[in-house]
Amino acid sequence: MTLQIVLAISAVLFALGLAAALSRSNAIMILIGIELMLGAANLNFIAFWRFSDNPSDLAGIMFAIFAIAVAAAEAAVGLAIIILVHRKIKSVEADDASNLKG
Amino acid sequence: MNCEFLKTFFTDPMKLVGEWFVILPALVLLLSTAAAVVVRNLIHAALLLTLSFIALGITFIALGAEFVGFVQLLVYVGAVAMIIVFAILLTRPDQLTKSGSALSGIGPAGGAAIGFALLAALLTFVFSSPMARKPLPASVSAPVAAIGEALMGDYVVVLIVIGVLLTAALVGAAVIAMEDKP
Repeated sequence: MTLQIVLAISAVLFALGLAAALSRSNAIMILIGIELMLGAANLNFIAFWRFSDNPSDLAGIMFAIFAIAVAAAEAAVGLAIIILVHRKIKSVEADDASNLKG
Repeated sequence: MNCEFLKTFFTDPMKLVGEWFVILPALVLLLSTAAAVVVRNLIHAALLLTLSFIALGITFIALGAEFVGFVQLLVYVGAVAMIIVFAILLTRPDQLTKSGSALSGIGPAGGAAIGFALLAALLTFVFSSPMARKPLPASVSAPVAAIGEALMGDYVVVLIVIGVLLTAALVGAAVIAMEDKP
């Protein structure tokens, strides 16, 4: 078990999230892709903390906790915007929301 | 099966099953995430995403960060997955007008190509770095008491800022999604 394995896992997770966010046109799937990328970043924080020489320094844990809190806020606001856009234009496709005027 | 086995099982599971304790949930994580990204049905994607959040939480626990693992399970499986399912149900795609938009984005092939390019670049750096070849240190733990003291000590300003951010974001989300604005 080396740091490489965990970093490789989180690299795959990040690439999957990026591919989902870029290739799907549904706004909910884009948001899911962003959540996956945040999860991969958290996995890196935890991995570097676990493999560090000084694990009593909790900076990695703290960053992961705060990142989870920010991701939760981002998901709430993002899904509220998706519901509002759906009410206005009856679509959740990101390409359809091309009108700037409210 | 003797007493020693049971003792090791409860005190240091890492020693018993070795790295499979981390690899197994990580495999579930990657497989369910890949399935969630490719399936067409949104509800199936949301449920597979929930499974991948659970596997990510178990991976955190296996790496020794129990508190972050349980926070991950509570926040993501309990809250984020739930509001994603609610958002999908509130925006049922079957009642949508099918768009003939000229903007088609980069499409699945383009997204997959960019994803693969990034993955290749990341894996090249990960496997060529001497730092990443570090072996696993002896089992470490982050006691919840220490995390609590750090949150109320060194990181108290960050904690307050995150609290204000969460309050503002949730009130803002409720106002944005409100039917009749006051």
